[in-house]
Amino acid sequence: MKKECVAMLLAGGQGSRLYVLTGDMAKPAVPFGGKFRIIDFPLSNCTNSGIDTVGVLTQYRPLELNSYIGNGQPWELDRVDGGVHILPPYQSATGASWYKGTANAIYQNIGFVDLYEPEYVAVLSGDHIYKMDYSDMLRCHKESGAACTISVMEVPWSEAKRFGIMSVDEADRVTAFAEKPKEPKSNLASMGIYIFTWDKLRQYLIEDEADSASENDFGKNIIPAMLHRGEMMTAYRFEGYWKDVGTLDSLWDANMDMLLPGSGLNLLDKSWPIYGRSTVCPPTMIGPAADVGNSAIAKGCTINGEVKNSVVSIGTVVGEGASVTYSVIMPGAVIEPGAQVHYAIVGENCRISSGASVGAPPETAADPDQWGIAVLGPGTVVAPGQQVAAKTMLDRHQNGEVRA
Amino acid sequence: MNGMHGIIFSYEKKTGLRELIEHRVHGSIPFGGDYRVVDFMLSNMVNAGITDVGVIMHGKCQSMLDHLGSGKSWDLSRRKGGLKLLPAFAYTEHREGAGQFRGKMEALGCVKDYLSHIRQDHVVLCDSDLVINLPLDDVLSEHLRTGADITAVCTSHLGDSSDTYFKLDDAGRIVDTVRDVHTPVGYRCLNIYVMSTELLLRLVEDCMAHNEYSFRGAVLQKRAATLRIGGYVWDGYAARINTIQTYFQRSMELLRPEMRGELFCPARPIIGKVNDAPSSYIDPTGECVNSLIADGCDIQGTVKNCILFRGVQVEKGAEVQNCILFKGTTVKSGAILRNVITDKYVTIKENGTLMGHESYPLVIARNSEV
Repeated sequence: MKKECVAMLLAGGQGSRLYVLTGDMAKPAVPFGGKFRIIDFPLSNCTNSGIDTVGVLTQYRPLELNSYIGNGQPWELDRVDGGVHILPPYQSATGASWYKGTANAIYQNIGFVDLYEPEYVAVLSGDHIYKMDYSDMLRCHKESGAACTISVMEVPWSEAKRFGIMSVDEADRVTAFAEKPKEPKSNLASMGIYIFTWDKLRQYLIEDEADSASENDFGKNIIPAMLHRGEMMTAYRFEGYWKDVGTLDSLWDANMDMLLPGSGLNLLDKSWPIYGRSTVCPPTMIGPAADVGNSAIAKGCTINGEVKNSVVSIGTVVGEGASVTYSVIMPGAVIEPGAQVHYAIVGENCRISSGASVGAPPETAADPDQWGIAVLGPGTVVAPGQQVAAKTMLDRHQNGEVRA
Repeated sequence: MNGMHGIIFSYEKKTGLRELIEHRVHGSIPFGGDYRVVDFMLSNMVNAGITDVGVIMHGKCQSMLDHLGSGKSWDLSRRKGGLKLLPAFAYTEHREGAGQFRGKMEALGCVKDYLSHIRQDHVVLCDSDLVINLPLDDVLSEHLRTGADITAVCTSHLGDSSDTYFKLDDAGRIVDTVRDVHTPVGYRCLNIYVMSTELLLRLVEDCMAHNEYSFRGAVLQKRAATLRIGGYVWDGYAARINTIQTYFQRSMELLRPEMRGELFCPARPIIGKVNDAPSSYIDPTGECVNSLIADGCDIQGTVKNCILFRGVQVEKGAEVQNCILFKGTTVKSGAILRNVITDKYVTIKENGTLMGHESYPLVIARNSEV
């Protein structure tokens, strides 16, 4: 049946910079904020914005992500017509290939989009943490009559060179686009969230595919091509919290932002709920000897030690006398009595034995440049008394230590 | 396939639960931080592999209907079987009754058509006001092993005189069933019965024909000589919620690790309704010790020895001790609460002080502002 707007969610990334945590899964399946996974944010935004047809483009180790999304029921995307669809690369009459780039991923699924005859297509990224009303962006897109609307936000000038930067005129029409410019002419950064008029995008995707020199990427090819050909492109200014959690540091930062009042990332705010698949477990017990402050604690935990400035996910156990500060603990981790965890990301189902320590506060580092958060890959066991230094990554998949 | 069908009686009773049953039946009373009482029996059934469950409705059932919905949370939203909600009115209207059934046998008579379509060979009947984590598959195995006509689950932990008590002989057969005795002795009945579907249908028909409506009177007592009724003794955690005092005491027991271990045993998880609340947040000024907390709470004040349901807010400077706060309760700054149960969406205003006693907790009715 015809839909006004279909969302295409790019979730195929391997997340090479998050590789320690993504050994077995695609990046969007990485847990976030104690109860959620990264992909819950764009999926919930779709539901809250009234978009009921979502294609999720997967490629890299999709099994965990596929089973997590399932029929889409937690996001109310189990629809009779539309709903959420997992779209891996597939074999067609003319052959088969992996998704070569973000644009090629949509190109290979033109047939899927055409099923719903939409007027507009929203192209979203699966690894951003933000709350955004796409229906407002769609309203602006329709009002301006643009071929493409790009969501942008102001970033500090000093950071502008890390982003795709848009120059705009007084009516917020995009006049120039530069990917990671050395000398930025504007501080409006593209958030990698686009709404296209489908007829236009369809045509550009086909042309882009025919160009063998193209990298088939939205930021590198499609957007510059449209701009070059004089298509009307507008910037949609987003104000609010947004973070690309493509690196371990940014993932840790975003979790810490959740604890910071005034950061703009308030998950307790009921006006724009984030949905996720629930796990069956009893409420959390905070024991008689526990000392918990400025922390988010999910259900199913047993906390008997100190937890400060940390995000503790479902089913975590923190033993008596253990101390967890400035850390992100992913589901099912066990921190035994007396263990120390500071400035760390502890992957799913890790065990940190009694007397062991993981990470260290920045003020203890002899050379601040050599300091960083410590990261344990899923299922890592830290032996009794073992010390895991700051900026260390332990990953059981490589049976050893990898310096960042 | 397991071959057992579940029937849950959800009825209104006149008990000492005061404000907690103003708007709801016993089965939909919140319990244990994240559950309704009925979740326990429902989870026991699901954990024993039961796929078809009928819940017999009665009285103020709106909150029960809202809670159970399609049964999706328990994976009981099925094309064939699954959860069925049974309003039991037809029979009594036909008999020019008051429109409500008088006892279990009459209720079953009301849904006789449903019973006649049960696909399984055995049925388990139970109440919705019991908090228990019981291996029902083991009860069925015992039932089959002993060859009893009916197996009734009971406990050696005695209760008060309003409970029903069994006297068991050496072979585990129930030889006497009594109620309203001055001094309880024997085994306390937990109102869980396993029998064959064929026997259930026969009993319902016979009781209807003789205008007998009580399961205890018509079956356990009157037919004790003709039926072999066995007892299955369960001495683990089992709490019948019938007074504010027992509600408070049995809830607070969950702060003890061994009690939680028994009731929330990981091998037989208790399943509640799926919710979307985010993690609970404990503020830098907040203090939370020895407490059971659900998701979505915002704790800026002091919380000690409490059970907090979903989305409870305790503002800065507020002090809550030995309390049970239901979903959406807000305790404003400076308020002090001791031995209080607040129902859903209660607001305690700034600097208010509310004190109950451990033996007589104060209950604040739903939506109140105090």
